[in-house]
Amino acid sequence: MIISKQTITGYIPHRAPFIMVDNLLSASRERFESDFRIEEDNVLVENGYFQEMGLIENIAQTCAAAFGYLDREEAGEPKTGFIGAIGRLEVFGLPPVNATIRTVVTPTHQLGNIYMIKGESFLEGSILLGCEMKIVVTE
Amino acid sequence: MHANDVKMSWEEVVEETRDFLSEEFEVDRDLILPENNLRNTLDLDSLDYVDLVVLIEENLNVKLTGEDFKEIATFGDFYQLVRRKLEL
Repeated sequence: MIISKQTITGYIPHRAPFIMVDNLLSASRERFESDFRIEEDNVLVENGYFQEMGLIENIAQTCAAAFGYLDREEAGEPKTGFIGAIGRLEVFGLPPVNATIRTVVTPTHQLGNIYMIKGESFLEGSILLGCEMKIVVTE
Repeated sequence: MHANDVKMSWEEVVEETRDFLSEEFEVDRDLILPENNLRNTLDLDSLDYVDLVVLIEENLNVKLTGEDFKEIATFGDFYQLVRRKLEL
């Protein structure tokens, strides 16, 4: 683990109750991985399941944490990013309360300050959701 | 199949490019002409340029960068850039 739940807010701009990532497990320019436990009082839980919007936000916050970590590693300041677009979204399942999901993000393309990433979230090895996302990073 | 995988003629590359640009950006194929402005014709915003980069890489196996787009105004400019990268 490279960023723990206790220090994640030093790398992302989000604040409770809208923090949708716990630990950043690994981050390189080619691949990010995080985990997140679904608590019962999470604002994006409905009928005992974490909703699609939460899984998408989890992918975006995994990116935010990883970009923040890598920027700091390279002696820069973490930048703010925004979701520019979401595409090729596929939902296979939703995780129940008390489950811990794992999320893998692969940056595929960069054009200036816009990054195209592929994100996938998993529960016990089974894919829950996959999508492509364009992240716009402020300069 | 990529232009680099099987030796395609330059004319075939251009025709294939017109096909996938027309389909992806929902633009009349007949408007994709060398003299027409690429950005205006395809109605590109900054996010769409990323789609264009992905599309060119997937279809022609050519990698474009932000710097490359500084020299592109028309489809003709665009074709010349792709041609240089393909070394056709």
